[in-house]
Parts: sequence; C-alpha cells; structure tokens
Amino acid sequence: MMEEKELITDDNIARVRDLLACMEKGNEEDAIEIIDELTSIRETELYQDMGKLTRELHDAISNFGIDDSINIMAEQSIPDARERLNYVISKTDEAANKTLEAVEESIPICNDLNDKALILHATWQKFTNRELSADQFRQLSKDVNDFFVNAYEISKVKDHLTAVLLAQEYQDLTGQIIKKVINLVSEVEDKLIGLIKLTGAPQIAVAKKDNKSSLDGPPVPGLAHADTVSGQDEVDDLLSSLGF
Amino acid sequence: MKILVVDDFSTMRRIIKNLLRDLGFNNTSEADDGLTALPMLKTGKFDLLVTDWNMPGMQGIDLLKAVRADPDEKLNKIPVLMVTAEQKKEQIVEAAQAGVNGYIVKPFTALILKEKLEKIFARIG
Repeated sequence: MMEEKELITDDNIARVRDLLACMEKGNEEDAIEIIDELTSIRETELYQDMGKLTRELHDAISNFGIDDSINIMAEQSIPDARERLNYVISKTDEAANKTLEAVEESIPICNDLNDKALILHATWQKFTNRELSADQFRQLSKDVNDFFVNAYEISKVKDHLTAVLLAQEYQDLTGQIIKKVINLVSEVEDKLIGLIKLTGAPQIAVAKKDNKSSLDGPPVPGLAHADTVSGQDEVDDLLSSLGF
Repeated sequence: MKILVVDDFSTMRRIIKNLLRDLGFNNTSEADDGLTALPMLKTGKFDLLVTDWNMPGMQGIDLLKAVRADPDEKLNKIPVLMVTAEQKKEQIVEAAQAGVNGYIVKPFTALILKEKLEKIFARIG
C-alpha cells in the first residue's frame, strides 16, 4: 500500500546515510536509534493505510446494510415468488381440467351423433332401394325426427369448445407471472454478485439490467396488492364513479 | 366493422378473435404490441381497437395515448377497449383519463366481452 515516494524522501535518505555512518564508526547506540526512527515512520504509514482500509470496509458493509433490498427479497419477494409459482401450477392445472372436462363431455355427443348418422344412412339407402316395408318406413321417419332432436346437442359441443378456448388464457397469465419471477431471480443474482465483490473475490462482469416495468401484472390470490380492484365488477364500479 | 386485437400473447389474441367471431365480428387483425399496431391503425381501416396493457415495445396505455393524440379525426375517435391483467386503481383511472372506452380485467368471460362491446356501440350509436 505504501507509495515509493513516501519512503524515498530526502529526510529518509539522510537518515540512512547517518545510519551507515554510525555503523561504520561502530556507534551502535545511535544506529539503533536511527533504525527505531525509521521503523516508527514505516509503522505510522502502515497504521494509516490499515485505518483507511478498515474505514472503507466499514462503509461498504454499512452501505450494503442500508440497501434493504436484500432483506425485502429474503422476507417478501422470494416467498411471494413461491406463491406466484404455486398460482401458476394451480392456473395450469385448472385450465387442463377445464379443457379435459369440455372434451370429455363433447366426445360422447359426437360419437352418439356419428353412430346414429351411420345407422340412418344405411336405412336410408335401403329406403331408396325400395327395401323397406311400410312399418320399417314409419320407424325410419321416427328415427329421422329423433336424429334432428339429437342434432341440437351439437350446440353443447360448441359451448364446450368455447370453454376450451377460454381455458387457454392461462398461458398469458402464467407467462406474465413467470416473467416476474425470472426478474426476481436476476435481482437475487445481482445481489449475490455484489456480496461476492464485497468479500474481495475476483471481479465478475455484471450485465446491467433495467427494470423498466412497474406494472403489477396479474393479481395473485394470497398476495397483498395495495390499491387494486378485484374483478370486473370493481373495475366497473370504479369507472362508473368516474362518470363512465 | 374491422377490429384490431393487440396483445403480446398469441393465445390471448386467438381467444379474443374467436370470441369476437362468436359475436359476429369476423373481420379482425392482430398485432403483438403498440409499435406494430400504430402503423396498422394509421391506415384508417379499423373501427375498434382491443388492446392489452403490458406489452414489450410499446405498451397499451401509450398506444391509447398515441391514438387519442393523432391528428386524424377518425383515428383519434376510434373506440378503444382495454383487456388487461392490470388491476391497480391508479392504472384504471389513468386509462379512463387517457380516453379508454372500456376496461376488461383478465381473466374474463365471453359474456363480459359481449356486454362491454354492446356498451361501447350503444354509446357511439
């Protein structure tokens, strides 16, 4: 830490010359005194440097403590992230179940209509080939009517398809949540790099990331959100209070 | 009636397009953020804008503000329906002050979309 210029001063050169002179003369007492003098100069500088280093270290530790983002991360952000990821699981689970439910209710309707159409078609061909008796024709007529009634079941399939369509919104919501957790992970990473730097480990190039989005994203049940509405009704109420 | 649907998630664009088709609006186009949407809107071919808020590039609120500030008389009066996950009161107020015509929070239902569209059309006559 000591600069060369602080050691090689005219005063010190003179002291060393004196020391040499004393030694050559065999003046041990004076020689020891000069050596003690030089040692104390060096020690003073050493103490000053140590003092400076201690202060820097203290400041660095204090500044790190003042920056309470680490505490917030440990106490709030990471538990929040866990909650968000759990919500992702429940949203995807819910979407998968809604989709499966809609599909499972649609398939029997399609199968039923398909089967009935095949039977009707076969009977209808017999009819066009004049292979049906009057009684069989009356039955066919009744079956055709039943088939038309059955065909209205198709509207249920359409409703199920709309339910499947809407269930896909989980992808948007969970995507936004996961992006937020990824941002948090990056922040934790930055803090860890800061800690590593503080302990004096070799410097690591840190890529600066700007946190441009101040938007909250989808609300997550179980997490506190200051000043937010919950659901469309509250949005409508707020807007109507504004004259909408 | 030509509608522009703006959302960075293609699944959400598909959901909205399908719901709109179900309501009888077959003429829809898509954009994935404000930056791509704005030049499309400037062509003057659209009668309704349905936009998300949180998107990379240009956000929905900035798209709304840009549209309202446009010198084109038709474009600056285009009805804008915001469909977003943002539920902060100050954001809803900001959107209202910027001149939004409807605000739907995700997740939403087909019925809510229908109601909000009907309300918008009832107002513009």
